[in-house]
Amino acid sequence: MKPPPFEYHAVASVEEAVALLAEHGEDAKVLAGGQSLVPLLALRLARPAHLVDINTVSDLASLSNGDGLTVGSLVRQRVAERSQAVRSANPLVAQAIALIGHTAIRNRGTIGGSIAHADPAAELPAVLLALDGEVVARSARGERTVPAADFFRGFLTTALTPDELVTGVRFPAWGPGTGWSFQEFSRRSGDFAIAGAAAALRLDRNGVVADARIALSGMGATPVRATKAEAALAGQQPSEEVWAAASQDAVAGLDPPSDVHGTAAYRRHLAAALTRRALREAHARSEVRS
Amino acid sequence: MRLIGAKVPRVEDRRILTGRGRYVDDVRLPHMLHATFLRSPLAHARITSIDASAARSAPGVVGVYTGEDIKGMSAVITVPMAAGCKVGEFYALATDKVRFVGDPVAIVVAETRHQAEDAAELIDVEYDALPAVATYEAALDSASPRLFDDLEDNVIYRSENSIGDVDAAFARADRVVTTTLRQHRVANVPMEGRGAVADFDPSSGELTYYAATQSPQGLRMALARTLELPIERLRVLAGDVGGGFGLKGNIGREDFCLAAVSRKLGQPVKWTEDRNEHLLAAGHAREETIDIEVAVTNDGKLLGMRAHMLMDHGAYPGVPFAAAMFTGLVQMLLPGPYTFEAYAFDVTAVNTNKCVYVAYRGPWEMETWVRERVIDDVAREIGMDPAELRRRNLMAGAPEDRLITGLGVAGISTRESLDRALALIGYDDFRRQQESARAEGRCLGIGFASFIEAAPGPPEMRMGGGMFGGERAKVKLESDGHLLVITAQAPHGQSHETTLAQVAAEEMGVPFEHVKVVHGDTRVTPFSLIGTGGSRAATWASGAVLVSTRKVKEKVLSIAAEMLEISPDDLEINDGIVSAKGTPTKSLPLAQIAMQATLAPNSLPAGTDPLLEANEAFKGEGITGSGWSGGTHACTVEVDLETGRVRILRYVVVEDCGRVINPAIVEGQVRGGVAQGIGEVLYEHAAYDEDGNFLAGTFMDYLLPTATEIPRIEIEHIESDPDGELGFRGVGEGGAVVAPATLTNAVADALAPFGARVQDQYLPPSKVLELAGVVAG
Amino acid sequence: MTRRPLQLTVNGRPQEVFVEPRRTLADVLREDLELTGTHVGCEHGVCGACTVLVDGLAVRSCLMLAVQAQGSSVMTIEGLERDGEMHPLQEAFRDSHSFQCGFCTPGFVMTALAMLEEGQALSEDEWREELSGNICRCTGYQSIVEGVQLAAERMGVGQ
Repeated sequence: MKPPPFEYHAVASVEEAVALLAEHGEDAKVLAGGQSLVPLLALRLARPAHLVDINTVSDLASLSNGDGLTVGSLVRQRVAERSQAVRSANPLVAQAIALIGHTAIRNRGTIGGSIAHADPAAELPAVLLALDGEVVARSARGERTVPAADFFRGFLTTALTPDELVTGVRFPAWGPGTGWSFQEFSRRSGDFAIAGAAAALRLDRNGVVADARIALSGMGATPVRATKAEAALAGQQPSEEVWAAASQDAVAGLDPPSDVHGTAAYRRHLAAALTRRALREAHARSEVRS
Repeated sequence: MRLIGAKVPRVEDRRILTGRGRYVDDVRLPHMLHATFLRSPLAHARITSIDASAARSAPGVVGVYTGEDIKGMSAVITVPMAAGCKVGEFYALATDKVRFVGDPVAIVVAETRHQAEDAAELIDVEYDALPAVATYEAALDSASPRLFDDLEDNVIYRSENSIGDVDAAFARADRVVTTTLRQHRVANVPMEGRGAVADFDPSSGELTYYAATQSPQGLRMALARTLELPIERLRVLAGDVGGGFGLKGNIGREDFCLAAVSRKLGQPVKWTEDRNEHLLAAGHAREETIDIEVAVTNDGKLLGMRAHMLMDHGAYPGVPFAAAMFTGLVQMLLPGPYTFEAYAFDVTAVNTNKCVYVAYRGPWEMETWVRERVIDDVAREIGMDPAELRRRNLMAGAPEDRLITGLGVAGISTRESLDRALALIGYDDFRRQQESARAEGRCLGIGFASFIEAAPGPPEMRMGGGMFGGERAKVKLESDGHLLVITAQAPHGQSHETTLAQVAAEEMGVPFEHVKVVHGDTRVTPFSLIGTGGSRAATWASGAVLVSTRKVKEKVLSIAAEMLEISPDDLEINDGIVSAKGTPTKSLPLAQIAMQATLAPNSLPAGTDPLLEANEAFKGEGITGSGWSGGTHACTVEVDLETGRVRILRYVVVEDCGRVINPAIVEGQVRGGVAQGIGEVLYEHAAYDEDGNFLAGTFMDYLLPTATEIPRIEIEHIESDPDGELGFRGVGEGGAVVAPATLTNAVADALAPFGARVQDQYLPPSKVLELAGVVAG
Repeated sequence: MTRRPLQLTVNGRPQEVFVEPRRTLADVLREDLELTGTHVGCEHGVCGACTVLVDGLAVRSCLMLAVQAQGSSVMTIEGLERDGEMHPLQEAFRDSHSFQCGFCTPGFVMTALAMLEEGQALSEDEWREELSGNICRCTGYQSIVEGVQLAAERMGVGQ
């Protein structure tokens, strides 16, 4: 399982990177953490003629917490996970990152890489979608911001054009008192989740649901936003029955895969259970603000 | 006893822990080339053409060989231990047909592995696809295509036998419990895959074969035979081997290819399989189904058993052991140490378009799983506690006790192990906990299972050294009074460099550090077809070391007796010094005797033998104890009805392997075996679809349990016959043999309130929820 | 593919090699630098046998292209011994009979070393979680966990 040949470019700046992507387009792939791409190269499932290694680009690893959390695409998952700034700015993001693989994977894996790779079973795409985050992409043509809802298009497929590079990811400002939870199930510790549920809840001063966000991983070709469940939760007094109903709403109409790890029926059952657990925990963490 | 029974630190650890192990991929020779295999993407097809011209002229490529080439470079492959199994004609590479996804079609040799893989992609193979035979039904259907044109059909082995009046036993029964129990396909998956360096020297006509093998002598014979090479010119070298669990006793077709191309090229060629080809093509195991009926009375007396077994043999037989021969062990052990009056067993093995079926840690394991699972079903059917049902039928190990299949089981401690395991796990208490948990909506279960393993087996089985005539070991007193021990074993984690040194040092009376154990070099090691496998080392290898060391000691003492003018019976050796018992001042260092024997043998006393070595065969004389290892495992689980996760709460082992050489090593073997059994039930499936496509080609799909999935395993030893000098019994396979039954019984117990019938050994989360009726199947 | 020069420090020694960019750090350590202590178990980043430290962090060397280690400081299992004396972690593993066939061992040693050097006291469950990225097929893990706990105790980690 040795990688096929490719032209290798270690770039020092975003400009250099996007110039190469403009030149080679579909024949090029960006190498960041490598935790997803290198196995594909080894299995010869990916055969880019050009590999653009952005690890040596210096200005993609910043973290800032102004109006929301902005994370440079090259921030290592392990750094983000342990960052006090990330934990206080957005605890749901911090918890989701801690669930990615194992420490050695997070030491190299990047925030941008996880988003750009867009594995439907991954944690960060689901969280980005739940929170209406944004992806900042640069090309030789300029920069644009893509809302999460438009970003994930299909299995391992995003709105990025072949000449674009993810430079950063933004999560909106976190409302004080918001409750949150990420629940996932994998067969072994650190495996890709079979299904996962990201939830965030804001209560009004009467303890009634003011704003609910739910996104599921592993339930389709992309992460799925449970808009029907969210709408039904608005204005509801929290209870087990309400969470149960929301979890059924969340999985209704979904067509998850059947594979060696579980049937579609199993995944629906699992996702509903995880949604309930996520809502329950998010509620327990939320604070009623007067 | 200062060494036997002690947790002596391992000799192997210094190099293992500091990165100085020598595994086969660490072997580097001058002018060494690298090979890769092109493998079939189809399960079943005729090869209509192969064009390797582009590959041959690719950068760095030295040679590309297909089946047609290999036919001219090696003989047809024979299976010496086919045990009546029909074998079609095949060579080291696919010739006219491919018969499973991963079947090797060509070998590419280049300067680097990367170049070899690049070139392999340029080979153009045209296939004419055939319908795949990937299920028992397809294999048994005479309308299905035959895998081998020279065989009548895909049924390659049949056997049946019957003991006692089976019909009468069933006629008398109050109940007949019937079920079909399905065991799935798994893979051994040692952390080091297969690999070898073939180094043929044209100037001497000698082939040196560095291999990751657990059967160096078996490999040597097979290579000599298939390459038609004089065996004295063939040397197999096994260094450190990264696990095998039976796989590396199978000789792969790749081995024959590698040796053949090295001979053709006159240069060393290395092949290290990657994990994808390992999962695809190295070897699979365990895929069997048994339809079983058990006749029982209302008060729990087991009367009779009828079993019909099917084995999915894969596309090619293993070498030298065709898997069909393991069914004989299943037949022999299926009724277990339970009293039955009558027993009928028949088995059919079929060819399928799947990977070769190889031996995997207790390749007869099906017998324990099926028996212990069905006994629980019988208990449920007649409304009896499964422990009580066992107690009513388990043999006590009295001198006259025999399995219904004939073997004597005098001295087995199965009943004690059952009682002890249930006490340790707190059986009665657990039933109360289970009740209150159920009231809270939590799903707990408890399961247990007993087994026996012939390691080395009762006297009639081990007479004359058993199936392989026992074992030899060479022991030599070196000129400095230290011992060199050369064993036929081929350890790959079993710590023989430590345990055999413990035996030799204890027997000789020298410090542990003065013993060096050598293995893996067929130029010097005694012959053993199996090498390391079948849980034989503790008895046969230790026994051989003991008797050879004793012989050397006798020679030394007879020399010392003359020199010290004391009878040899009044002499002892401690710490490398021969001295008179009770008068330590009358003494001679071993080193002095040894040096004198080496440099000046004529100066030794007349009538003594200056050759201070021995190469004795141990054929089992003096073995004490039952000859059976075994015991009972018990575990408790909690099933999460939302996710289907089975969490093991406690896992308890009560095992009896006779006298223990090194407790830490024994416990490591038990825990490792149990971990594989847990993996087999909850995580591992070497799955094919109905078209013979393989679905578990990476570690993302073939799941091995990690430190979070394997619980603490509590072990208690029953050291029956602790004083018998040759009371060591094998323990390598037991854990893997009984753990699947233990765990599936616990899950079945947890799901019993849902009316679940557990008939499959593979219980991933989705299956668990289907059994619980929570998810549609 | 054209080779490019790669300079890095390995076990405290500066090294320069010429490598094709498609070769992994694992392959280059084993073949070009002849440090065969690091083992390759899967080449797709799951088994952990290839774990080394790169600039102090545990990394799966089969998932890093060697050229990405330019200018870095790499530590492999061969780097733990000092003057022929084993590191306390190695001694603890030996005293706990932690391993059998030894193939997974280098990965476990480096993973455990990185965690011990972080200095936190971990519970058994936390240790098992941290070690769950390394696969062993021989031991059932208990002896490895005990070895790490013994090492933590002896090294005074988390006290």
